[in-house]
Amino acid sequence: MLVARGIDEEARQLQKQGALDLWLSCQGQEAAQVGSALAVGPQPTVFPSYREHAVALLRGVAPDELVAQWAGRTFCGWDPRRLRFFPYTLVLAAQTLHGVGYSLGQRLQGREDFVVVYVGDGATSEGDMSEAMNLAAVESASVLFVCQNNGWAISKPADEQMRTSVAERAQGFGIEAVQVSGQDPEAVFSACARAAAHVRGVRAPYLVEIEVGRIHGHSTSDAQEVYRSRDDIARTRAADPVTAYADRLAGLGLVDTAWLDAVGAEVRELRERLMKEYA
Amino acid sequence: MTSTVRSPGLAESINTTLADLLEQDPRLLLLGEDIGRLGGVFRVTRGLQERFGRDRVRDSLLAESTIVGQAVGMAMSGLVPVCEIQFDGFTYPAVNQLVTQAARIGGRWNGQVSPSLVVRIPTGGGFRGVEHHSESNEALFARAPGISVACPSTGEDADQILRHAVTLGSPVVMYEPIRLYWRRNTPVRDPEPARSPTSARIVRRGSDLTIATFGAVTHEVLEAAHALGPTVDVEVVDLRWVAPLDMDTVLESVARTGRLLIVHEGSKDVGIGAEIAASVAEHGFDALRGPVRRLAPDRRAYPPADFEKDYLIGVQEIKDEVLVMTK
Repeated sequence: MLVARGIDEEARQLQKQGALDLWLSCQGQEAAQVGSALAVGPQPTVFPSYREHAVALLRGVAPDELVAQWAGRTFCGWDPRRLRFFPYTLVLAAQTLHGVGYSLGQRLQGREDFVVVYVGDGATSEGDMSEAMNLAAVESASVLFVCQNNGWAISKPADEQMRTSVAERAQGFGIEAVQVSGQDPEAVFSACARAAAHVRGVRAPYLVEIEVGRIHGHSTSDAQEVYRSRDDIARTRAADPVTAYADRLAGLGLVDTAWLDAVGAEVRELRERLMKEYA
Repeated sequence: MTSTVRSPGLAESINTTLADLLEQDPRLLLLGEDIGRLGGVFRVTRGLQERFGRDRVRDSLLAESTIVGQAVGMAMSGLVPVCEIQFDGFTYPAVNQLVTQAARIGGRWNGQVSPSLVVRIPTGGGFRGVEHHSESNEALFARAPGISVACPSTGEDADQILRHAVTLGSPVVMYEPIRLYWRRNTPVRDPEPARSPTSARIVRRGSDLTIATFGAVTHEVLEAAHALGPTVDVEVVDLRWVAPLDMDTVLESVARTGRLLIVHEGSKDVGIGAEIAASVAEHGFDALRGPVRRLAPDRRAYPPADFEKDYLIGVQEIKDEVLVMTK
């Protein structure tokens, strides 16, 4: 989580300096991403949306590979096949159908068919998301949908985007689903581990809706101060899951200053390397 | 004057080809609405589910984006999906998955994935179809980089195109004229084979004027050309593919005849004919003895069945146009 936060912050700086054209920050969503990625393990193939930077780093995408597409160098900076972390898809929810189709294709060929599809709350309004949930349910596809609900589709709040939770909607399609807070990575891990066990055991889809906070705007081109109250932004910052978890672990005596300093040094080193390559 | 030949209908030909492809390649599967139990609304896939099973001849959900979207995922897993859209007018919900996804996956993956993915679309009018059942939207996909668009007019061509398409490594949309599915008698054509699976085919040799055409109307063009035989010697180029276009064959033909008429069933504005005319103006202007002309419907929606004869290009109109151009 600390590494993801550091890389994300460096990418934001690089964008301010003009080295990146755009950056979609994942700050506030680290617990959801790290918890879910660790829970499913390295085997499943991941179909991300475009903000799953912490998942990418856990899967072995190097920081310079992660930002390459945002610097206009390529459409995908990493090796999707080797890392089983497929390219970011910028047309919302298009990847949800690919994920289901891929899982079915793998099953037909007698290969590992566990697929994790990441999607945001805004993207669930797209028809493809509903079609993918229905297809996954009907075909009993081994697909875990992870919906990170950060409460905002750019400027449209989630309560103006939907009348039920995404989890309730999934249940309407016949998909087991659960809603969990994205504040605590351990709670996310537990919920996603149970979901993964269901997908593996029953060979049927599952949806985990993780409520997260969006610390920055939708992208570096977004000005969330225009449509979001100062209090709301301050509350989200105050509830930052990265600092909260680090503080908790330190309070429990599970990590000490030396450990945190070592991680800090690692992050500084990664940021420096990234800056040298792109700035 | 017009002589015809008897051949199996297009539906039967494509059925034979699909069966053979399923037989040869275990990675290949068919995906579409009502293609399994029913054998498709045009029976193009009749008997294939019984023969190859429900895993490989899959009755899809009634959702076109689902068909193409899951096919993209299946292609990523190494399979070769051949999809069927039920009617051309129902293609539009799948356009996003085709244009922004299927067509771009290869590039997005830096060449690591080469999706061989075929979408078969019944097309065109002339059979008293209801609204949305008689359209010709091939020009839409011809503009999308990364998608190849085929418009065969015979079972033999469809066979060659399909066999090529499933090995291409990028998406192919193949338009199948509905009014040819059951038609058995068609105007005779030169037996000369195409130079390659992707090239156009000169289906009638002539010296006075070239007609470039594709799809179902190729048969009306041939009928007109044969009927004009004693007065005007018309060369007919069946393009077979509208993206990419085989302009070499068209330009070589125009170099011989000096005149070019383009005939197609899709509406004229910003259509395939415009692209061919522009290309000939750019690269074959010196060979022209007169202006390039297009014969295609005006820019309007396909009409109710009672009025489709006014919309479609008939043999008489083609003959009249040729006579005006060669006067």
